[in-house]
Amino acid sequence: MVQTIAVDLKKSHIIGDLQSPKMNFTIEMALNDQGRKGNGLLSILRKLKSQPDKELRLLLLGLDNAGKTTLLKKLASEDITHITPTQGFNIKSVQSEGFKLNVWDIGGQRKIRPYWRNYFENTDVLIYVIDSADRKRLEETGHELEELLMEDKLANVPLLVYANKQDLLHAAPASDIAEGLGLHTIKDRPWQIQACSATAGEGVKDGMEWVCKNIKKK
Amino acid sequence: MFRSLLGIILWYLRPLMKWFLRKTTRLCELQRLCYGEKAGAPRSLRVENSLLQSRSGDIKNLIVFLDRISDGRKFIGTNKDSITHYAIHTVLRVKKINPQIHPQFGISFAKCIEHIWGYRQLIQEVEVLRTTPYDANNESHETKLLTLWELMMPSVQLESRVTKQWQDIGFQGDDPKTDFRGMGLLGLENLLYFAQEYPGPASHVLSHSHHPQYGYAFAVVGINLTSMAYHMLKDGSAKSHVYNVSQGLPTIKVFHHFYCYLFYEFDRFWIEAKPRNVMDFSHIREKFENTIRLSLSKPASVFRINISIDNI
Repeated sequence: MVQTIAVDLKKSHIIGDLQSPKMNFTIEMALNDQGRKGNGLLSILRKLKSQPDKELRLLLLGLDNAGKTTLLKKLASEDITHITPTQGFNIKSVQSEGFKLNVWDIGGQRKIRPYWRNYFENTDVLIYVIDSADRKRLEETGHELEELLMEDKLANVPLLVYANKQDLLHAAPASDIAEGLGLHTIKDRPWQIQACSATAGEGVKDGMEWVCKNIKKK
Repeated sequence: MFRSLLGIILWYLRPLMKWFLRKTTRLCELQRLCYGEKAGAPRSLRVENSLLQSRSGDIKNLIVFLDRISDGRKFIGTNKDSITHYAIHTVLRVKKINPQIHPQFGISFAKCIEHIWGYRQLIQEVEVLRTTPYDANNESHETKLLTLWELMMPSVQLESRVTKQWQDIGFQGDDPKTDFRGMGLLGLENLLYFAQEYPGPASHVLSHSHHPQYGYAFAVVGINLTSMAYHMLKDGSAKSHVYNVSQGLPTIKVFHHFYCYLFYEFDRFWIEAKPRNVMDFSHIREKFENTIRLSLSKPASVFRINISIDNI
């Protein structure tokens, strides 16, 4: 059984090499899915691949209780039932669609926000997480985002906004949030808003696909 | 490869060694442990190991039975006595021990049973608290939260239920309810116990958390330490400490004590590490956890809060 898979892997890799880079990309996606089942295919894939993974630095920011750590754990396929408020930061490396993503999850507590700027350097994509159900703080989160977009070190860095907690009853739809934040006025960088529920895992992957595609264009 | 080979050899060798020692000492392994090892973790850990390796069907059934009882949190009160009695009786029968000749064995062995399956029961009890989310509509939850404020800030009145003042004791925002997260009610109960049972050390630690450079969020760090204590309990690392401090069944108080110790010691560790700012938390926390785990790996380990330091 294992052997057949290994042979198939090799075949697909050869095909991948002969075909366009896009073909390679889809094959890797499929492999990633299999890898998640825990049969170690990812490691085989890494050895087979002709070029090493491109490393990317993703920065996860947002107010406290937005769901940044849950998102991070979800990306790393880890258990999300034991999460605690982040004092300081968490970092994880995640393999996704041929990229090695180094994801930095920085605490969102007001007292920690002044330290956000220490993590701006060399950021490839800024991921801003919003608790869509916390309507009272939409203004506060909008204000923080506005400040981030004015930072020199984050100039032209693509922005992905996760409108998180869509599973909650009172969650504002992503379109309302986009309007509230005035995302449409952003002209200096690619941006995207993605409705998601980090706990249910819905929409997270769509957001990450956008991230990877935008890196390709760069 | 070598290790698995060693495992196979030991698997065959163990009964042979046990048989030899039994013939020469005229005692079974459980007896030798109960007489030879120091009461507490050194004895209970080895008895646990011996029981789990047993190939006797009766002992295996006994273990399944005790697991079920403790997972259902039924190892309490009068139930407890009849269950330990049954366990002793089973071992006496299987190992052909005469209780008239060996009256001490049953007493010592019963303590081990209480430690081992009381610990398992404690995990369940802690898990129930952890999986109970903090509920702002639950009056008893709210009372506990307000009591925590009163104990930590006896001279300051809380202006309203939702206020920035909560940040003074280290919650993240205006309302602590969102900070308990994956630790649920357990996080609050831990903090409350620290404030209630160790008012001196707790306020000492709180004052450190307000330090201009070495400051941190007291409650949030507390909830992170709940997570540490919980994981050490759950993966069995805390057994040495818990067995050593428990006379009989380990209770929830033992867990709270363990937490208080971790908090008090973490604060000291943090200050001594001279962090640049609060962003150093993750790696100092990790170092601290490694130190604690190393101590716990010794069967003799007992953690007690060293109050005398507090008075200096």
